[in-house]
Amino acid sequence: MFQPVKPSQWLVIAAAILVMAAVPLVTRNSYLLHVLILTMIFGIFASAWNLVAGFGGMKTFGHHAFFGIGAYVSALLSIKAGWSPWLTIWFGALAATGAGLFIGLPILRIKSMSHVAIVTLGFAEIVRIVISNLQTITRGELGLWGIRPFEGFTLPFFGEITFSPADKVPYYYLILLLLIGSTAVIMLLMRSRTGLSIIAMRDAEDAAESLGVNLTRQKLLVFAVSAFLVGIAGAFYAHYISILTPTAAVGIDLMILVIAMALVGGLSTFSGPLVGALLLTGTVELLRDLDQYRLLVYGAMIILIVMFLPKGLTTLGPVLRKRFASR
Amino acid sequence: MTFSLLIEQIINGLIIGSMYALIGSGLALVYGTMRVLNLAHGEFYMLGGYFVFFLAVTYGVPSYLAIPVAIVATFILGMLIQRLTIHYLMGKEGWQFSTIAATLGLSIFLQNAALLMFGEQFESVPYYLNGVIEIGSIRLPLQRLLIFVVAIVTIGAMTFILKKTRLGWAIRATAQDRDAAAVVGIPAERIYLITFGLAGALGAIAAAMLAPIYAINPWSGLPILLKGFVVVILGGLGSFPGAIAGGLLLGVVEAIGVQLTSSEWRDVIGFAMMIGVIWWRPWGLFGKKPT
Repeated sequence: MFQPVKPSQWLVIAAAILVMAAVPLVTRNSYLLHVLILTMIFGIFASAWNLVAGFGGMKTFGHHAFFGIGAYVSALLSIKAGWSPWLTIWFGALAATGAGLFIGLPILRIKSMSHVAIVTLGFAEIVRIVISNLQTITRGELGLWGIRPFEGFTLPFFGEITFSPADKVPYYYLILLLLIGSTAVIMLLMRSRTGLSIIAMRDAEDAAESLGVNLTRQKLLVFAVSAFLVGIAGAFYAHYISILTPTAAVGIDLMILVIAMALVGGLSTFSGPLVGALLLTGTVELLRDLDQYRLLVYGAMIILIVMFLPKGLTTLGPVLRKRFASR
Repeated sequence: MTFSLLIEQIINGLIIGSMYALIGSGLALVYGTMRVLNLAHGEFYMLGGYFVFFLAVTYGVPSYLAIPVAIVATFILGMLIQRLTIHYLMGKEGWQFSTIAATLGLSIFLQNAALLMFGEQFESVPYYLNGVIEIGSIRLPLQRLLIFVVAIVTIGAMTFILKKTRLGWAIRATAQDRDAAAVVGIPAERIYLITFGLAGALGAIAAAMLAPIYAINPWSGLPILLKGFVVVILGGLGSFPGAIAGGLLLGVVEAIGVQLTSSEWRDVIGFAMMIGVIWWRPWGLFGKKPT
């Protein structure tokens, strides 16, 4: 099932990183950079969800809880305790991991996909309502504002780096690094013993267990890593956007968007969620004027993809080739 | 909390809980028969509510006519949705997930279609019955009593259909073993179609009864769907009697819980109970442990 990465694939990966890294050198258009930053935040989110739902076969519908926890914990620590965001984003991610373990443990014992979907969705709703109700701390739907930006620093050759709303380039490179890091973590994890056991479990749970794979521990590890990565994405989002509301940071729309991205791109592939994130974020921005049709289009897209292209756009090539070859 | 307040909260809880039971039983019926988790179930409720609103308020049809028409319309809509989407996914590779994902897509699609067509304002329907009855110190609006009566009648009718009619036998046979049922000539496809229609009708009945109390808007399906989820987890996913018991239990626990805390914690109480049940008895409070 898992072949080593071919040289041609390394070439594609290197080219993709180079192109992404070169964008701010070509244009400093802050709108374009903003769209790409959002794309990369969603890219991490969708890849991490794919790790659990695609590779792991655990179809959770509550990952937006981890995004929100990462965002709020990091933002609150930076505001109330006055810590640097460089530190608090890791605490945000750890808090998300803790929540992931808390909800991961009961659902791992359940084999029914529907139970998993319901419980994770319910858990995320609890998180959203709690954040929204604890108004003295989070300000609820009024929005938590005044979140500190990342501190600037000096780099040799580049000079002073400052994170401010006016200049999106530092944010761009930071999220690019986080995206590369998360993708690397996911790829390494999937190529390790854990990854192989996860695939074995998804495809034949009983057989894998009888061969001595410790199901619970491996699944929990994957769940925790996924929650951690989503938490980091959320924490970055908090310090980038600098205002949080429960609807925007823990709303179910977020999860729907991410599921649509992973499905459109292709579940259980490394590139699928990233391609999906780029396509969907891009489409949204192109259709800015048609904003009221955005979710309608997403809904229709999910239905159509599931019905006609269940493995996503990354498999469009082979599907077409087969169709034409058979003629 | 005084004793009479407690009694009043229990009664209110049972009334709202009877509606949760209708929602949950629609989910349970579809899951029990088809093993499909229908994330678009809340949209049956939402659209059913709009049908009642347009007939009863916009066109002024008397409510005793408007409600049955709305229920039949939602029944047909449910069948249509099943035939156009779920039908093609059943039995295919990965159908368990693809049906969940497709109904998620449907849910968003229908919500936003409703938003574009009907607008985002909150609509409501006048009370069907006015007046209050008083028993001792407890006051009970007739409207709420009506809700409870309709729920009892609906549950009774559904139980009758499932237990005593050929259609019900066919549904239960398909639920138990689709292939064995097919051998004795039960067309599973048609049963699935009718099951989805019935689930839609159950949603529409709940919507019609709650429309005078809760406003109708394009997003009113989601909170109801989440309630339904809690109900089916409490009662054991796929169990029709479990959903009834789960609905009543949720209604009462919520009513008392809200009295002890405050109304914005209502949903947290239900979800926390659900997660507790998943830890303790994943097969539901009233079900038997699967062997």
